[in-house]
Amino acid sequence: MNKSKQVSKEKRKKLPDQNSVLTNTDFLKMYRYMKLTRAFDQGIIRLYRQNKMIGGAYSGWGNEATSVGSAYALKEHDYLYPMHRDIGAHFVKGQSARVLMLNHLAKADGPTKGVDGTGHYYDKEKKIVGNISHLAAMIPQAVGTALASVMKKENAVVLNYIGDGGMNVGEFHEGLNMAAVWKLPFILIIENNQYAYSTPGSLQYACDSPVDRATGYGIAGAKIDGTDLLEVYKTCKEAVDRARRGDGPTLIESVTMRMRGHAEHDGHEYYPKGLLEKWEKKDPIRQFENFLLAKKVLNAKMIKEIDESVIAEIDDAVEFGDKAPFPQGEQAALGVYAE
Amino acid sequence: MKSSISKSVKKAAGKTKPVTGHSFSWPHELDLKKFEPTHEQKKQLYYFMLLNRAFDDRIAKLYRQGKIIGAAYGSRGQEASSVGSSYALGENDVVGPIIRNAGAIIVRGLPVKNFLSNFIGRSTAPTKGRDGNSHIGDLSLGVFAPISHLGSLVINLAGVALGFKMKKELRVALTYIGDGGTSTAEFHEGMNMAAVWKLPFICIIENNNWAYSTPTKNQAHIKDFAIKGKSYGMEALVMDGNDVFEVYRVSKYAIEKARHGGGPILIESKTMRMKGHAEHDDAFYVPKEQFAEWQKKDPIGRAEKHLLDKKIISAVENEAIKKRVSDEMLEAEEFALSAPFPAMEEAAIGVYSD
Repeated sequence: MNKSKQVSKEKRKKLPDQNSVLTNTDFLKMYRYMKLTRAFDQGIIRLYRQNKMIGGAYSGWGNEATSVGSAYALKEHDYLYPMHRDIGAHFVKGQSARVLMLNHLAKADGPTKGVDGTGHYYDKEKKIVGNISHLAAMIPQAVGTALASVMKKENAVVLNYIGDGGMNVGEFHEGLNMAAVWKLPFILIIENNQYAYSTPGSLQYACDSPVDRATGYGIAGAKIDGTDLLEVYKTCKEAVDRARRGDGPTLIESVTMRMRGHAEHDGHEYYPKGLLEKWEKKDPIRQFENFLLAKKVLNAKMIKEIDESVIAEIDDAVEFGDKAPFPQGEQAALGVYAE
Repeated sequence: MKSSISKSVKKAAGKTKPVTGHSFSWPHELDLKKFEPTHEQKKQLYYFMLLNRAFDDRIAKLYRQGKIIGAAYGSRGQEASSVGSSYALGENDVVGPIIRNAGAIIVRGLPVKNFLSNFIGRSTAPTKGRDGNSHIGDLSLGVFAPISHLGSLVINLAGVALGFKMKKELRVALTYIGDGGTSTAEFHEGMNMAAVWKLPFICIIENNNWAYSTPTKNQAHIKDFAIKGKSYGMEALVMDGNDVFEVYRVSKYAIEKARHGGGPILIESKTMRMKGHAEHDDAFYVPKEQFAEWQKKDPIGRAEKHLLDKKIISAVENEAIKKRVSDEMLEAEEFALSAPFPAMEEAAIGVYSD
């Protein structure tokens, strides 16, 4: 056991700095994914206000760096178990805005054929397992997928997310414990976005920091600034590499802020004054934009072009989704029983 | 556990705190002198352990005679853990024992004759013949009935502690869990809320090396279960679960601290299940050397040696205590075996409120 540990240590030394592996093309792709995520959220919010959304309108506003940066560390054959705040991860994993919009608008052509009105869909080809509303319930399932990956020698890693609220649910414990015992290729990101609906972290957990939970399972843990795209990417890439090497699971606490209510129906009147203003200064997209501008990877003209292309893509998806038909009455029972 | 990632990220980002480190205490790091049991208390602790073991032996015997209705769960090797901790409770405190804590129920005052009746399903038992085991609750004795699905007691007893806190009563709720039970959802949910609400709650993890046939290495990827205290932000301690006097001192420290607003405390009691999961299980999967190693640490033998060496009891007194225990068990057996089974018409009693 000691020997294998040493070997992996040496291997680790040889690994290049993850950021240096990223090219300017990667930077621009990630930047565009974040912008696309924000534009998608804006589109959803608009549709909700036009009363065109069947379900709630959940957004990942403020969470773009976490969802995009983490999913960007995955390979094509890796599995993604995103939450409702991780639309960015869907995009990175190759999902199109049109498909996502169809599902959000509960249209017959969407992946759930109009049965769901948000992101609870499964895409076998892209290896996206859409969220289970009772968030922690995803963890044992994602861990099960990681176990299957090991048993089938797929060499695939499973990336799953949870919130500062969900991490106090029993399944979090059961899933993470077994992932640790079986040393599975599993990565769990706690998106510590300060509020679980209206419950602040102080009423949710008593440990200094959610990452302390890693200690209790004997696994690796990291606490990162979830608004810093490169920090998210670097940490997740390392965790993904560790997992793929067989070094076991990692728990990552990504500190961020839910910039809107729980969903659009929630006016978050319980936020203390000044909290949003404080976090607004740490807006993940602007942070990365400034980084790229300083690096001269990006200029004003390119920003304008990217903005236009992103808006066009979302406008197209909204129009496409809006025009698509609702499911027929006789389709209601499809998929309820095995056929 | 060394976590390479936290270290490397710490370097890179300067914001990560390592998740390693010393996060719980060992008894020698605490000042426990004032919690030393008196000579009289030491004698009582010894007596209760002997009674606990005699009770277990009697149950095993009756099981082999086919007189036990359910399974026969014993606590051989763990007597110090349940006796020492429950003995440290105050009169008004509540304990939620698990299957291996017959000792705690006896310490709280349930007569062994009634307890034994329960195992053989007689009407003189606290459950009036409905249970064939130790699922006995008696709040007048401060005993919360054991629940077979172990993690469940953690949330229940945390709830009892919440009640005490809301009513501003200086009372403490104590429960136990095994190394296997720590993997359940309820353990997590209960411990977390106890910590958030700073409840007068104590959870003792009886790490007895085996959860049925599952060794701890297949149960959790940690060496000391006390490290879980850090996960919940609660104080955590380790104790030698086979030293009844240490168990008493550590438990007393924790109980008095929790009583006076110190918040919940997690204690890991390091011990060994010296038999199978129950009498039907011959524990063939436990290495013989492990039994032999722990036999040397037998809690009763250690307490006896301490009492004789320190001249707290004489050899004559020792024999008298043993005789008292054996007489009590004989009487209990006679009482239980001659007691009637419940009558048919009693079957529905206690199902609905009357």
